[in-house]
Amino acid sequence: MNKKLIELACIIDDDDIYINLVKRVIETKKLCENLIIFKNGKQSIDYFEELLLNLKEDKIPDIIFIDLNMPVMDGWEFIEHFTKIKNKFNKLITLYIVSSSINPVDIDRAKSLNSIEGYLVKPIIINELENIFKSA
Amino acid sequence: MTQIKMPSKPIENNIGYLELKNDTIYCSKVFLSDIGYIAKNKKISLDFFLNKLIHKDDSSQFRNNYFSFIKNNIDFRQSLLIESKKGKYKEFVCTTSHTQANLSNNNTKSKFLFFNKRKFKTNKKVNKHKFYYKEAAEMTSIGSWYVDLIKRKSYWDQQTRRILEYSEDYKPSINKSVSYYPKESYEQVKRLFLKCSIDGKAFSTETKMLTKNNREFWVRANGKPVFNDKKEIIGVRGIFQDIDETKAKELSLLRTSNIIAAQNKRLFNFAHIVSHNLRSHTSNLSLVVELLNSTESKEEKLELINSVENIASSLNDTILHLNEVVTIQTSTNKSKSLVKFSKSLKRVKISIGQIITKSRTIINSDFSKIDTIDYIPAYLESILLNLITNSIKYKHPERDPIIEIKSYVENSRTILEITDNGIGIDLEKFGDKLFGMYKTFHYNKDAIGIGLFITKNQIDALDGEINVFSEVEKFTTFKITF
Repeated sequence: MNKKLIELACIIDDDDIYINLVKRVIETKKLCENLIIFKNGKQSIDYFEELLLNLKEDKIPDIIFIDLNMPVMDGWEFIEHFTKIKNKFNKLITLYIVSSSINPVDIDRAKSLNSIEGYLVKPIIINELENIFKSA
Repeated sequence: MTQIKMPSKPIENNIGYLELKNDTIYCSKVFLSDIGYIAKNKKISLDFFLNKLIHKDDSSQFRNNYFSFIKNNIDFRQSLLIESKKGKYKEFVCTTSHTQANLSNNNTKSKFLFFNKRKFKTNKKVNKHKFYYKEAAEMTSIGSWYVDLIKRKSYWDQQTRRILEYSEDYKPSINKSVSYYPKESYEQVKRLFLKCSIDGKAFSTETKMLTKNNREFWVRANGKPVFNDKKEIIGVRGIFQDIDETKAKELSLLRTSNIIAAQNKRLFNFAHIVSHNLRSHTSNLSLVVELLNSTESKEEKLELINSVENIASSLNDTILHLNEVVTIQTSTNKSKSLVKFSKSLKRVKISIGQIITKSRTIINSDFSKIDTIDYIPAYLESILLNLITNSIKYKHPERDPIIEIKSYVENSRTILEITDNGIGIDLEKFGDKLFGMYKTFHYNKDAIGIGLFITKNQIDALDGEINVFSEVEKFTTFKITF
């Protein structure tokens, strides 16, 4: 555990209960320094677009966990938008899908996208999450 | 003098051919000598060919075929009698060809008619043929008709009279043609008929007709132009075939397939809801359990048990929604009855009176065109309730909501239109998701994304249709076709 801790992680999910739980896991296990949370894709895209105008290294997350089913802008739309702008950040941002969907259509679609590092099916397993944070 | 050669690839056994150019007919030597004319005289006028050479019984059919071939490239094959110089009739089969001919002078595309001698003579069999035609027409329910555009008269054969249930001595007339069709098919047929009688465009269509006893039924209607020898269209000839039985089967098949498609879609939706929404609760539960196991602190454990309560309540909500969806699928055979739009609206207005007053919503309605519909009353109320509350929920922040509701008839189906002056919706972005479950598009706190999903399911379940028109910041119109 001498590796440096992840500075900033980002969770995009509309399920309050899930967010509370995951936050708890991250905090108790001290998986990262800071955490930002968005309730849907649109909110987070707005954040990233604004960030582009005024790049601040510490505001750019190292890792993003995104849900698929969300109001206003869903996960797919976010990924599409985000892929277009992510190179402008000059930083490696890892993108994970975290969804309760076990629909093969969703899983295959995620596999077909280069920008997706992995697909986690809810319920997330705490150990698995820990490993991802450590290896990122 | 034009030298005429046979087309590059002459068809075997052709005894002669005609080349058709600039309204003049050039005959081959073989053809001319076969009917006893001197081979030198290769050019003959169309008039002579139509009126002198061809037997008068075959002449008008040949003329129609000929002009359709020249004008519209419609091929034909016709057997006909041609009078030889000695006054004897010989039987030929005439077929068409567009062969690119190697003409001596130019390379223009020419049209040809080939004449073959018939192997056996048919005149003796004419009566027998007539019998076959009659039988065939009767068994296939095909009646033929002719409209004389010059005399403005129409003629039917007995089959047509029989199909349309008129007496044998009934005289059809052009003026009465409107009574042979239901309103909506009359316009369609009229258009095709006019096109045929003006541009000479033959038609073949499926349409509805009306019998004398006002029974609607499906026919296949074909028509083609009839020309005089000046290439003018003087009439339209065609057939009606009674295809009601087949068409009824086709339509019922289509309906069944639509129902299956709709049910399949609902099933898919259902699977999606189960996969996404039920699983999200159960996975939260598992996570809680995992956390409970990994922590020792009592405080934390208590907090986690609190969240179990939250999960249970949202799980309950989801199951209620699912239940609503399932209810729609199973209650389509609930009895329909005659409902009045005005009455349903009144009930809805009463049930959400507070919301309406609080939001200062004005609801204008006009059901003067049609007020009664055969429907499941609870559905109609639910549809109205959902759409009205939706309009209020998504009202424009700068103006009080005004909702216009009207009903009318379009293509013999009842339509209900609900238009508001709310914030509208970006259809290009959300159009395909608008009626999905748990889809919300606005940052509205009380948006759950269930209303429109239920509404659409109710309408679908009763073979209806819902469409939406909208402009962001201006209006949204929901159009329901019952």
